[in-house]
Amino acid sequence: MLSGDAMERRLQIAGILMLLGLLVEAFCLFWTRPIGFVLFLGIGGLMLALGVALYLLAVLSRQNPKV
Amino acid sequence: MALPASWLLLLILITAIFVVWIVIRPGITATRGGKILAFVMLFLMPILCLGMGTSYHMERSKQTKFCLSCHEMEPFGKSLLVDDPGHLAAAHFQNHRVPAEDACFTCHTNYAMFGTFRAKMHGLKHVYVHYLGKPPAPEAIRLYDPFNNRECLHCHLGARSFEEGAVHTADPELLPAVKANKISCVSSGCHEVVHNVSTLGKEKVWQGGL
Repeated sequence: MLSGDAMERRLQIAGILMLLGLLVEAFCLFWTRPIGFVLFLGIGGLMLALGVALYLLAVLSRQNPKV
Repeated sequence: MALPASWLLLLILITAIFVVWIVIRPGITATRGGKILAFVMLFLMPILCLGMGTSYHMERSKQTKFCLSCHEMEPFGKSLLVDDPGHLAAAHFQNHRVPAEDACFTCHTNYAMFGTFRAKMHGLKHVYVHYLGKPPAPEAIRLYDPFNNRECLHCHLGARSFEEGAVHTADPELLPAVKANKISCVSSGCHEVVHNVSTLGKEKVWQGGL
């Protein structure tokens, strides 16, 4: 269940993307064919990169609390 | 230096556990400790997993069995077992002049800047042709560029058998021309039989390899 808070929701989506990426990476470790390498970088790497980008976006777009 | 697969899997597992925790309880990132945890697990660790994983796959893709896992390459693998010392690739493989487990990569990489990167880009093209294109018959497969002596000289330059070999020194102009890549090591009359995939069926095969 995604959070109602925008910042937390972005973190959750980033986390889900990363989990999918990590799952693909773990799977490809045991796939010794060249296609395993391609999927590792093409799918796993892309999902991790999107997750990291979304996390950074969430952090950078966070509004500073008023002092 | 690539981590073994088991360590890499452990790294992925630890990262995944913490990422699951953050996904289930995103509220923990409101605290100072939670922010640090999120930074480590949603930024540093995924990059580390990707980097280590890429390194692992790069190392694995140098292995002979990796190259021979595509059926187009099977005849080239068999050519390494021809029982004839006049066959260049077979003699190198069988006598461990190249590491047997990295035999293809050792000769077919490019010992210049970004050589490994170029070899991997060619590999990506091979994967594309394998799955989405029309792979040529094994005997029709050719190198992208003529074989550069630099790849041979990477090991043989300075070696006594190369520098003082009777055939190599018979003509004083030969070795300088070979070193300048003006005469190919695999040119006709020299080491011309490399991978004889078109005549494989007629050759005697060494039973000890692969």
